Amino acid sequence: MSTEAPFISMEQVSYAYAGSAAVVRSIDWTVPTGEFHSLIGRSGCGKTTLLKLAAGLLHPSSGVVRLQGDVVDAPSRHVGFVFQTPSLLEWLTVLDNVLLPVSLRGGVTPDDRNLAMELLELVGIGAHADRYPQHLSGGQQSRAALARALVTSPPALLMDEPFAALDAITREELQDDLLRLTKLRNSTVLFITHDIAEAVYLSDRVAVMEHGSMSYTTAIDLAGRRDGETRYAPSFSATCRQIRSAMSTPLPETA
Amino acid sequence: MMRTRLLSIALFLALIVIWEFGTRLSGVSALVIPAPSAVLVVLWNGLTQGFLWPHIWVTGVETLLGFALGCLIGFVVGIVLGESDRLRRIVWPYILASQVVPKLALGPIFIIWFGFGMTSTVIITALICFFPLLENTLSGTQLATPEKRDLFRMLGATRLQTLFQLKIPTGLPVIMAGVRVAIVLALVGAVVGEFIGGSEGLGASIIAAQGMMDTTLMFALFIVITMMGLAFYQLTILLEKWLLRGRNKGTTL
Repeated sequence: MSTEAPFISMEQVSYAYAGSAAVVRSIDWTVPTGEFHSLIGRSGCGKTTLLKLAAGLLHPSSGVVRLQGDVVDAPSRHVGFVFQTPSLLEWLTVLDNVLLPVSLRGGVTPDDRNLAMELLELVGIGAHADRYPQHLSGGQQSRAALARALVTSPPALLMDEPFAALDAITREELQDDLLRLTKLRNSTVLFITHDIAEAVYLSDRVAVMEHGSMSYTTAIDLAGRRDGETRYAPSFSATCRQIRSAMSTPLPETA
Repeated sequence: MMRTRLLSIALFLALIVIWEFGTRLSGVSALVIPAPSAVLVVLWNGLTQGFLWPHIWVTGVETLLGFALGCLIGFVVGIVLGESDRLRRIVWPYILASQVVPKLALGPIFIIWFGFGMTSTVIITALICFFPLLENTLSGTQLATPEKRDLFRMLGATRLQTLFQLKIPTGLPVIMAGVRVAIVLALVGAVVGEFIGGSEGLGASIIAAQGMMDTTLMFALFIVITMMGLAFYQLTILLEKWLLRGRNKGTTL
């Protein structure tokens, strides 16, 4: 394992579901350690497939996905995955849901419990640790799912539109929580969304995906710390507009 | 809620009263329809003098043994078939065929194989309980969403962990619905099994009462069987509530 290698790298990665055209076409992409990258695109553009390829849940039809230089051929425990829906187990309490990754790897120690409780406090639902997920609001469930992804302290997080189903205000709160936690742990993140503002707010780099390939990428420089004001800064809107216009550009036929 | 319950009880009492006076006033023979008061007397005597208890015991044991055996096998086979698509495609037609055969029609054969008495009845009962459990276990364990399966893959869960910590808990409500169906069928299976091959038990007692043209006793036995069925059903509801505790309580905040 070489430490200089980018955390996630994809080389000429393509993927086609059996019997259909490629949904991911020759993607080259690297996420350096500690960076937060977002992929945006319309539904069906192949972004979820790309994320599953990065996770090792799918194997590329051609090309190679590497994590810290090693070829990915199965899900890695260095990677946490946050799904579109919270996907909490309704027969476990919130605390036990957060501890699931630990309990599947063996015993849960008191230290694990403390860490899980700490994470629940960090995402603001410490008071609900002993409740069952279906008693929580959608936002609280998403927070629990985030805590679950973080409990094994994975150096990288893959996130598939985790906040898409939430109301705008809850989403902003969760975005701030996420930024805080990932900066705290220097996590590498690949984040998928269809919300341009969300991508710009969170990321060091944003890529637009259309018809299975990256059509546009840009580094985001919002000058310093992101906070509530950032979303209303002129540079923020300008960046969003720039990405939006990149998305409307019709693509040449690639098929 | 309370009002509905009271109305329900009132309906029951009204039907009993109509039945009582109907049989008295119409002069229909007690051989055809006995008055509820006469049935209650027979039932009371049967319970206090004790001649009903051995039969209740036998039928209860047969029901529960057959139920437990059928549920266990149905559950295990359901799990195995759920885990192997190939095996399921190979054996499913035969399992289906075995269920289309009216199981009570197999009674006489079982009597030849296993003799009169408890064994035959338990096996018939088990056969009846097997299918609802098999089918509900099979479909219940497939209910875990693709995202949750991916979650378990991401977490590096083994096949057994995925089965016991995801698929079975996900399917539990559906599996328990199968258990509720099975317990009701089990009692029917045990009683009818005794019709065919029993010398003891409530079903055998019905046949004996028929031989003596004792309609009143038959009605008393119906009541006992109904009460047993309700009691067993309530037990499965309690079991279900205990197994599914914490789920589906209340709504989201």
